[in-house]
Amino acid sequence: MGFGAAAASALLQAETANPLAPKAPHQPARAKSVIFLFMHGGVSHIDTWDPKPELTRLSGQTLPPSFAKGLKTSRIDFTKAIIRGSPWKFAKHGQSGIEVSELFPHMARHVDEMVLVRSCHGDAFDHAPAMYLLSTGSQFPGKPCLGSWAVYGLGSENRNLPAFVVISDGAMKSGPQGYGAGYLPAVYQGTMFRAGQMPILDLGSPQGLSSEAQRRTLDLMQAMNRRHLEARPGDTELEARIASYELAFRMQATAPEAVDLSGETEATKNLYGIGEPQTDDFGRKCLLARRLVERGVRFVQLYSGTHLGDDWDGAHNDLVGSHVKMAGKSDLPIAALLKDLAGRGLLETTLVVWASEFGRTPLAEGAKGRDHHPYAFSLWMAGAGISGGRVLGSTDEFGLRPRENPITAHDVNATVLRMMGLDHTRLTYFYQGRDQRLTDVHGEHEFTEFLLKG
Amino acid sequence: MRAILFLAALSASAQDAIEVLSARCWQCHTSKLAMSGLDLTTREAALKGGSRGASVVPGDTGASLIIQAVERKGKLIMPPAAPLAASEIEVLRRWVETGARWPKETAVKEPSWWAFRKPVRPKSGNKIDDFLQAGLKAAGLQPSPQAGKAALAKRLYYDLHGLPPTAEQVQEFLRDSYENQVEKLLASPRYGEKWGRHWLDLVRYSDTAGFELDSYIADAWRYRDWVIRSFNEDKPYDRFIREQLAGDEVAPEDPVAQTGTGFFCVGPNRDMFPDQADINRVETLTDFVDTTAGVFQGLTFGCARCHDHKYDPIPQRDYYRLQAVFAPAVKVRVPLSRLDSLGWERQENVYEIRLREIGEQIGRIQERCKKEGKAGDEKIRACLNENEAGQLKAVEKELVRMFTNYRAKPFACGVTDVGDYSPNTVIPGKGEEVKAGFPSALGGGDIPEQSFERPTTGPIPLTPTTGRRKALADWIASKENPLTARVMVNRIWQYHFGRGIVATPSDFGTRGRAPSHPELLDWLAVEFMQRGWSVKAMHRLILHSAVYKQAAQPSKPAREKDPENIWLSHFRRRRLDAEELRDAVLAATGRLNLKEGGRAVVPPLSEEELFNLIGKASEQWIVTGDESEHTRRSVYLFQKRTFRLPMLEVFDAPESMLTCSRREVSTTAPQALTFLNGAFVMKQARAFGAELAEKHDAELVQAAWIRVLAREPAAAEAEQARGFLVAQQKELGSRQAAAVELVRALLNSNEFAYVD
Repeated sequence: MGFGAAAASALLQAETANPLAPKAPHQPARAKSVIFLFMHGGVSHIDTWDPKPELTRLSGQTLPPSFAKGLKTSRIDFTKAIIRGSPWKFAKHGQSGIEVSELFPHMARHVDEMVLVRSCHGDAFDHAPAMYLLSTGSQFPGKPCLGSWAVYGLGSENRNLPAFVVISDGAMKSGPQGYGAGYLPAVYQGTMFRAGQMPILDLGSPQGLSSEAQRRTLDLMQAMNRRHLEARPGDTELEARIASYELAFRMQATAPEAVDLSGETEATKNLYGIGEPQTDDFGRKCLLARRLVERGVRFVQLYSGTHLGDDWDGAHNDLVGSHVKMAGKSDLPIAALLKDLAGRGLLETTLVVWASEFGRTPLAEGAKGRDHHPYAFSLWMAGAGISGGRVLGSTDEFGLRPRENPITAHDVNATVLRMMGLDHTRLTYFYQGRDQRLTDVHGEHEFTEFLLKG
Repeated sequence: MRAILFLAALSASAQDAIEVLSARCWQCHTSKLAMSGLDLTTREAALKGGSRGASVVPGDTGASLIIQAVERKGKLIMPPAAPLAASEIEVLRRWVETGARWPKETAVKEPSWWAFRKPVRPKSGNKIDDFLQAGLKAAGLQPSPQAGKAALAKRLYYDLHGLPPTAEQVQEFLRDSYENQVEKLLASPRYGEKWGRHWLDLVRYSDTAGFELDSYIADAWRYRDWVIRSFNEDKPYDRFIREQLAGDEVAPEDPVAQTGTGFFCVGPNRDMFPDQADINRVETLTDFVDTTAGVFQGLTFGCARCHDHKYDPIPQRDYYRLQAVFAPAVKVRVPLSRLDSLGWERQENVYEIRLREIGEQIGRIQERCKKEGKAGDEKIRACLNENEAGQLKAVEKELVRMFTNYRAKPFACGVTDVGDYSPNTVIPGKGEEVKAGFPSALGGGDIPEQSFERPTTGPIPLTPTTGRRKALADWIASKENPLTARVMVNRIWQYHFGRGIVATPSDFGTRGRAPSHPELLDWLAVEFMQRGWSVKAMHRLILHSAVYKQAAQPSKPAREKDPENIWLSHFRRRRLDAEELRDAVLAATGRLNLKEGGRAVVPPLSEEELFNLIGKASEQWIVTGDESEHTRRSVYLFQKRTFRLPMLEVFDAPESMLTCSRREVSTTAPQALTFLNGAFVMKQARAFGAELAEKHDAELVQAAWIRVLAREPAAAEAEQARGFLVAQQKELGSRQAAAVELVRALLNSNEFAYVD
């Protein structure tokens, strides 16, 4: 066997041992890919997706004591703080007539493609625990997140790009544990794509090194590796490491191509608001998400907001300022993403989820703000064959708690997995003495049936 | 006659049934454990049943829950792990049908689960290799020949020191006896740095608390150094346990022993959310219970927090009995030397007052300029008049004087009890109050309350304690405890061979893997205790065995019949772990700083690498000023709970939220990118390349091989390398750049990253 053939055979064997090789789902999948739009910091549900005229009527008063009982958050007292009506108007949209506030004029045009869930609830009232809860099913960091589980269950459709990509504006309040692989092997970890031409850490060859010089160094190393392997036949780990360097070298070429938006048409760029100061940044991120899905990336988690000021959490001191700013950045690009995916036939196989770790209090914090509210909040899903224009669940007249169909983070995660063809009760990993699940022992209100029935 | 025969048959059937109950059910269902409220050790209790109702209805198999459960037809399935054999089910059916009679004498026997019985010295061998033969033979495999001495040198250095041997050390190894070399390596402080790191994984060590504020844990590094020193001193393992669980109670006069209780402090905590103090306390206690049970006993207690353990004989009550042991414990600052610490406290008070004065003084000096709208240090400085500038200079001088000779605080972190009383511990949701005690399945009873003689004259002792943690420590660090020695020797075995005799090192319960070599495990456990709980004695036993010295290449039959290498027909080749990789790069390029101990070192990182850091780098990533510190061993690097050093994280350095008993080994493209292109490897390669560029080609190649791979290059390798240098020099325009590339290729090679 010649040198090249030996190398090819080693590569082939290594790839069969590849933990990211595509795996069959438990059931037929509706979604090949997921784009999870994570509005980090806490978007006010009662100012966006869940109209509560009662709040405007009772503005300035306190809650009836029976409603305030048992609710707790860090900065306000539910028995004393005053009710604050929404400063935004709501209007009916689409054929379905779902009411959305004027904060999201662009997303509102797509209500007929969405299933809106108004009855989400949790119990973690600080950012990091609430983010862990939504992404990993536990308030405590160190557990694998939805994206990691999905890739663990299904493998990757793309040999040259990571299967699970995270895009963010900067560090999040959850830290990397919000998209970590926890106790799953590190190969299922989300890869953070950064802004710029080199989206992955250490993707660029060292300064001053041409691709030829890099290849020559690799060739010397691989020649040594093959001699090393010849004396150690059959060691798949050594073969896998040889293959990993080839993949890394291919990624050096393909990842910059994936993030290079210059080949997109002007019309597409305009659609996403690229070039407009307000929407440019988030528009690029949404367009990148589409390009990744197009290239077979399984799971894209796209965060809006950072841990330092520029985020939805500015609502503590300034509800209007923070929400106008963040909605202004993200509303148009997200609508563009839905339109673009649909136009390319990708929406059929891509599930788009929009969510935030919690909502905001219907009560005032200080003169201009709202505090964290994990006890009721909204999210929506679109794409992957779901039957849009419908609302699941509702909240009480103040938007304090779910009234019908309460939905937990576990239910959301179970649903996303099911849409990808994975049964959340069967997707397990043995750790700490038991078969661990993303949904622990919960997820019983998984709502895939609702999403799909017309 | 017939009647007598019938009665004899009945009593035989009863005897058989009791045998089945004893072997298969009493692990969980005794009067003491009564999982799900069910006791199956007397007829009366069995008829009464547990929380689900009557277990045995004489004469009615259909109504008897026990039959439904063992037949595994309904929702209730018992025993959960290993189903009963058809013959065993038949015995129980017949017994119920014939009235479920109970023989007169039914003593509850020893626990039936192997790990809960005391290990006894097996008769079949007196050295490790004896115990491995049977398994190999049964699998139809042969042991491998001994590895070459150079390979053994590399194996032993990484295994005991986590560092590669230099070429000179390899030469010395070849000349010297193996026994001498083992002793030399065990005596080096590098040993504690490597084996201490294993322990730090287990105790979820970190320098910060985790969660979104991720506050610093003051003086965590004192515990890290204590662990390293304990391994280097070969502190008897029973003592090592006692000092960690109850150093304050075991040796109240010895601050070094109390430093061991840092075990409790270096875990995650949410104390930075003061509005959730109640939740935080519960989570802290949960962390104490789960970590203690996992690390020292190999038990997964976590499941029993919410309900009786589904697989292991751990009722929820036992979880809270163990939690009650820790209920009075609080985190404290441990003065390392009474006089020093008191002196420091006094000095600290002075500092605080002076600093406040200085802060106010600076405010006054800058007041005028600030009023004029100047902001930021530079602008304000430019605006100061001569008088103000002079004042500021005086303040600066004062600050310099104040912090000259500033030294580390003479405190460690640790725990002690709030006093000799304790809050009550109640099972949540049930309201049942429990007493502090040990797991019932292991025969553990309640801890008797201590009564303290309060002195009528003289000083009052600083902190009287309840003695609960000492009682727990004594119970765990006892030769009577069936798990303690087994769990630790299994860990030692795993760190040497890459797989434990029990492959689930922190789960010795029924869901864990059964031991591959149970007699060997017991033999090692007994040896461990008899040799004074000496960890180094265990190393000697293992390192001098033939199985340890085997070559790392599996035979073809071994690859086919035993791909996991359970029967140890060869040594298991392994990739270096994250810390070893970093340390080896520093060692190979001649840049490793072997300074021992001290505060955590924070290495500089690029903005890109810090992308995921929560908070401001100026507060959360305060780079160590002394550059020579940046190339110290990885065990001394700052361990931040929410942010692992990217280079270590990518190579499977563990999360530190929970105890980690075994690291994953993944092989990924981001690892290749990190090692190939990352700033760290490149920096060391550049430094070494610059050194090499001074040499002639042949010398250069020779030196690179010797330093990075600790061997001479083969002729063909040297020739290929020289050709490479010429081509790279032409392309990159400099000899030095070409030398850097050669180093980079060698550092990335599999030979560098793997140990045979």
